[in-house]
Amino acid sequence: MKIKIIEKKDIKNLLKEAVKEWGVYAPQKNLGGDVWFDALPKQAAELDRALDNIVLEDADALISPKDIFFPQLESCFEFNDGKIHETVESSPKLLFGIRSCDLKGLLFSDDFYKRNFGDKYYLSRIENRFIVVKGCIKPPRPACFCVSAKTGPFADRGYDLQLVETPDSYLIETGSRKGEDFIKKHEKLFKDYSAGADKTISQIKKIACESIELKVDFQKALEMMSKDGFVPEENYKRIGERCIYCGGCLYVCPTCTCFNVFDNFKDKAGERMRNWDACVFEGYTRETSGHNPRKEKWQRTSRRYEHKLKYDYKLTGMSGCVGCGRCLSSCPVDIGMSKFIQEITEKRKTM
Amino acid sequence: MNMKNEYIPYPAVIEEVKKETFDTTTFRVRFKDKAFAENFQYKQGQFMEISVLGAGEAPISITSSPSKKGFLEFTIRAAGKVTKGIHNLKKGDNLHLRGPYGNSFPFEEIKGKNIYFIAGGIGLAPLRSLINMVFDNRKDFKYIKLLYGAKTPEELCFKDELEAWKKIPDTEVWLTVDKPCDGWGCRVGVVTELWKDTHVHPENAVAIVCGPPIMIKFVVIELRKTGFKNKDIIMTLERYMKCGIGKCGHCNIGEKFVCVDGPVFNYEQVEQLPHKEGVF
Repeated sequence: MKIKIIEKKDIKNLLKEAVKEWGVYAPQKNLGGDVWFDALPKQAAELDRALDNIVLEDADALISPKDIFFPQLESCFEFNDGKIHETVESSPKLLFGIRSCDLKGLLFSDDFYKRNFGDKYYLSRIENRFIVVKGCIKPPRPACFCVSAKTGPFADRGYDLQLVETPDSYLIETGSRKGEDFIKKHEKLFKDYSAGADKTISQIKKIACESIELKVDFQKALEMMSKDGFVPEENYKRIGERCIYCGGCLYVCPTCTCFNVFDNFKDKAGERMRNWDACVFEGYTRETSGHNPRKEKWQRTSRRYEHKLKYDYKLTGMSGCVGCGRCLSSCPVDIGMSKFIQEITEKRKTM
Repeated sequence: MNMKNEYIPYPAVIEEVKKETFDTTTFRVRFKDKAFAENFQYKQGQFMEISVLGAGEAPISITSSPSKKGFLEFTIRAAGKVTKGIHNLKKGDNLHLRGPYGNSFPFEEIKGKNIYFIAGGIGLAPLRSLINMVFDNRKDFKYIKLLYGAKTPEELCFKDELEAWKKIPDTEVWLTVDKPCDGWGCRVGVVTELWKDTHVHPENAVAIVCGPPIMIKFVVIELRKTGFKNKDIIMTLERYMKCGIGKCGHCNIGEKFVCVDGPVFNYEQVEQLPHKEGVF
């Protein structure tokens, strides 16, 4: 398909069309000035207000949009007098302006939730999903290291459409049949971009790559971590001493999937719920007897880094870190994955 | 979406309640749907997720033998919110089950061998599934010894069956407790003390171990000293679990999920696990 182009001023019109058919999620600035990947309202006046708050250019979405498919708190089923009613959500969802690192996180999670026993809650939510990536021209946060992790700043697969930003318009790369159909459906808003599209796009991508200043030797780290016992316990102990075990880095991480399960109950009716959990919490592995196999802080620090860089890679060939940098930018004590990688590959203390 | 929702449990009814010790009870449970109950299959060593709606859900190993069809038995210690919730139920009450989950104890592979069952406390519950299956096929196995320890004589589970198993030909049952009572005629001390009572020999033998983490640790040391090969030491690992299907993450050790890749491992596999993540 030929490269299409849409003018920036037409994005609002495109999204107004899209909300008729899809639940549209886009990065929006809230009252506090933070960017969240929220649903666009369907009602006209509210939609207009929300469209004014959309930020595509340098959006630093605080948490990855994983919560659209794996909410922080969700119902698994309701029960009343011993009868169970399944609560599964599967409405069509269009993600507009997701970053390539976050897309990698979603693809990683898709694979995880399909493995062994499929997770119906997650898989129902992604069943009818349309992804529009907005490649990053500049890093949304200083901690970004997607070029090193080979996850950005533009996506190489998994998208339906990808926006390549120019000063007043977006060039559109089409990644799927669904993407082509979408463009056809809204063809009034798109024009053909003929002259030297490929060259223009590769030039833009090259400059975008160069703008990511934080570089780490990601591949070397993966190889080093694959050797058992490579990182001395002392390193984990030192980092573990600084960590405050708040779990923040895991909540913002695009590939963290752990959850806790509990019942909410009143009289004879209630709900089985699940919510995000974090492997750095002391209670995460504590058994009913009180025995806790990962009682020591450093054991949990080790688990956190080795799960992402060693075990995920060993099991899937994909790293569990997508280089978004959120763990570092959200950390109250300045600990993060890029620093850990620097520490082991450059053999210097970074944390 | 047309796929099975693995998280939805099926209704079942408690048809028998048998007190084992002051805090441990065996529940015999049958699925309400007759056809489902009759077609339901599981393997020795697998577990089910048991729901008490309102209290929550917990993974509990199946203690009945797959050679007995139609019902399931669970031996449960009242320890946490869910297990206490189960203990509040009586004959005729409902609960909900999903599963079976996890791998299983080897059965075909251990035919023709001498078998040492080594259990601590409620650890006998998952072993009992295999023990009764072995006894239902007694001629396929050589000599069988059960070495079983508990805190006190009162806390030994399956007391009637311990007596019955003793009477089976070429079978020995050896007991030990930490704290004896008056008239206790067996050994006092940890389960490895039973090495003094009976000959433990690795030739053509497998040892199948289940109990608290600390007990497993010392039993493995003793078995290896005795000459058992790592692959002939088979155990179940205990881990805090929520979902049972490799999703919630709690039982993850290295890249293994105890709920899916286990709970049964031989020591050769256990040695490969990252022990700094606390295997025992």
